[in-house]
Amino acid sequence: MSKIRGIANKLHERIDCLIEKCPNMTAAPYNYNYIFKYIIIGDMGVGKSCLLHQFTEKKFMANCPHTIGVEFGTRIIEVDDKKIKLQIWDTAGQERFRAVTRSYYRGAAGALMVYDITRRSTYNHLSSWLTDTRNLTNPSTVIFLIGNKSDLESTREVTYEEAKEFADENGLMFLEASAMTGQNVEEAFLETARKIYQNIQEGRLDLNASESGVQHRPSQPTRTSLSSEAANVKDQCSC
Amino acid sequence: MSATQDKKEDQDRIQRRVNKILEARLESDKDTLDALNGLSSFFNENTLQNRRNLRSQIEHRSVGINENFLKAFREVKLSLDAVCTELDTMATSVQTMKSDLETSKALTKDLIEQTNTMQQERDRLEVHQQIAQAFLARFQLTVPEHQLLYGSAKDAPIVADFFRVLDRVQSIHSDCRLLMQCGYQTAALDIMEEMTLHQEGALERLYRWTQNHCRNLENNEIGPLIVEAMRRLQDRPVLFKYVIDEYAIARRAVLVRLFIEALTEGGHGGNPKPIEMHAHDPKRYIGDMFAWLHQSIPYEKENLTLLFKKCDKQDISDQLQAALGYIADGVQHPLKVRVETILNSEKDTIVLFTLSNLLRFYQQIMKQVVQGGSLEECLVDLQKSSEQIYLHSLATQVRSVLQRPSGSSMALEPPQRDLVPPPSVSRLLNMLKEILSVATMVDGRQADITKIVSCVIDPLLQSVQESAAHLPTVDMGVYLLNCLYHMQSTLAVYEYMDERVERLQGQSDAQLDTLTSEQASSLVANLNLGPIYTILQSNQSKIETNLLKIFTSKLDAFLELPDVLLLPQVQLIMSSSHRATVQKRAFNVIVAIYKQIYERVHDPANGFEQPDQLLHKTPDQVAHILTA
Repeated sequence: MSKIRGIANKLHERIDCLIEKCPNMTAAPYNYNYIFKYIIIGDMGVGKSCLLHQFTEKKFMANCPHTIGVEFGTRIIEVDDKKIKLQIWDTAGQERFRAVTRSYYRGAAGALMVYDITRRSTYNHLSSWLTDTRNLTNPSTVIFLIGNKSDLESTREVTYEEAKEFADENGLMFLEASAMTGQNVEEAFLETARKIYQNIQEGRLDLNASESGVQHRPSQPTRTSLSSEAANVKDQCSC
Repeated sequence: MSATQDKKEDQDRIQRRVNKILEARLESDKDTLDALNGLSSFFNENTLQNRRNLRSQIEHRSVGINENFLKAFREVKLSLDAVCTELDTMATSVQTMKSDLETSKALTKDLIEQTNTMQQERDRLEVHQQIAQAFLARFQLTVPEHQLLYGSAKDAPIVADFFRVLDRVQSIHSDCRLLMQCGYQTAALDIMEEMTLHQEGALERLYRWTQNHCRNLENNEIGPLIVEAMRRLQDRPVLFKYVIDEYAIARRAVLVRLFIEALTEGGHGGNPKPIEMHAHDPKRYIGDMFAWLHQSIPYEKENLTLLFKKCDKQDISDQLQAALGYIADGVQHPLKVRVETILNSEKDTIVLFTLSNLLRFYQQIMKQVVQGGSLEECLVDLQKSSEQIYLHSLATQVRSVLQRPSGSSMALEPPQRDLVPPPSVSRLLNMLKEILSVATMVDGRQADITKIVSCVIDPLLQSVQESAAHLPTVDMGVYLLNCLYHMQSTLAVYEYMDERVERLQGQSDAQLDTLTSEQASSLVANLNLGPIYTILQSNQSKIETNLLKIFTSKLDAFLELPDVLLLPQVQLIMSSSHRATVQKRAFNVIVAIYKQIYERVHDPANGFEQPDQLLHKTPDQVAHILTA
């Protein structure tokens, strides 16, 4: 299974690479249609930065240092044939940075709330994280609960069922993932994006709002006359 | 003979004739048959007459026939004559024609030659024309191309084909080099010059268009044409720079607008709330502003990167950085005004310290994203002024704590009988603790902390010393030692305190020395060691037995209950280790003196009788009892 995913990822990269190189595609300078802003939150040491690293680099970062304040990562994904650029703000879990990290919830389209399945205390703090998230984000912000370190089954302290129940009660999406093996990491980020995209499609998210956490990039701008002329030229060339 | 011969000959002849006739087979001789047939047509009756006339008749008929022939042939001859005449005429005509032809032939020969020449000329010219056309097609722009390059109308937008034409101009220009190598220097140079002019004109137009486009960049839509245009313009550093400047100006204005919007309007429908809603919570307010800014910058950076996507001829990272700096600088003023307002109105030292920390944190973060530029400078300034403000606030607070409500001079409450540090010391130390435990988000803030600690501890120490000044020595020592101990134990758990703690330790040591000597003197006095000690010092060999007896009895009592002779103030020393130190060192003095006495008494030269009776404990025993 993971092999297939690995291959799929590689293929994906290659296609991205091709698209970037393909001269025809330069007609659209943005290689994405949307930007979604994510924020990753959770207690110190639950593996927020590792999840981000696994997602953006597809590698496990051993001996990951504590995050200072906030870090930033991006990756372009595809949902419904639309290219979406994820702009991910990875916050420090340490209490001393709480004042700083709180300011980054503002206008996040997706919030990934992470706990460590091998440390019950990180799970017990979820409700305070959730309160923060609800207070500081939009009602439409998609909150995704991730139980990280699912590879450490032997030292598990929080069962899947328990966390699932918590997620259902609070209307959160939920997956157990492992930043180490990469299991479900991709899925968590993509599912969140799909949900946000669905919200856009259903009109629950106002794209015109400057801080909706989503920015739209029409791949074929129609506003200026020059681009329509360019399109004409393109038609002529194809005959 | 002859006659006979003749006769014979005649005979033969006749014979031959008869034979001939006999041999003749008339029925098979056609001529004869025809002749007989003809004869039968007119010779009807075989009469003599007829036979006689036969000859003439035949002759007559022959004549008639000949006449007919003649007649017929005459006509034929006449016809032939006519034919002949006509042929003659024809011949003449032909002759005439022939001569005519000859003449015309002679006449047209020139013409034909001329035509041939012209035809050749024409062929040659056609080839030339083709060459010329090919040359023009290769080395000149067509009218549509020309139009594309210069725009059909003023302010006509740039289209994608513009770049194709521009490429062509460039390729023509480089082809000219080849042309030059082939010996067509003049043409090549002319064309080159022309192409250079085209290029300049086109780039100028492209520059105006791009600049204009960048100026009106509302939603920051960087189209493929702009990206391409930037690639072309990178050959003209001045134009390139102007375009970037224009872009940066436009984006700077947009960023400021968005910032103000985020501050005052918030998101759509008031969610998220405008940042200024939190102006009452300085940490949140300032934090939100910086977070907003921090999150906006990657977006601007990405757009700039996109703008420069195809610019690969030179390193443009400096220009990118400068442009980004310029864009970000826009928010400097609104940011600075707000932060300063908060800093100036905030009274709580701890909040101020937190803010200063926050500012330092963001100053370091922003330094990584936007280098140079006035934003960085502004952040440094803000950070410095926040530092001054909190230090000032701290100093004020310290002063207000140390000042007695009524008194005007800096002094603490007078020390109580128990010699414990006054509540003000605890208050200040608690305040310091609070400040020091404010999460510092920036590492290596040693200088900050040292400053803060000095700001609190220095005046505190001074006050403590002032208030202790009027106490008796022992009281003062204990009081100071207690205060110092309090400070020391408070500070020791924090980082970067080594030097300060060392200094406090030094002061403590001085007090310990004082107290030790006070305690030792008191012991000496209480054990009646004074006179004995004087004798020991003066090298007199004789010590009065009486004195020794009093001493030993007192010493025995002392050794029973050593604590009885401790100064009461020493019991008030808060730190048990300090207390133990004073006690131990004082006791050591006594042990040392005892040892001297013991040695003197046991020295046979001094002639003491029964020294063991006099001093029945060895110095080791005494030391053991006192230090146990």
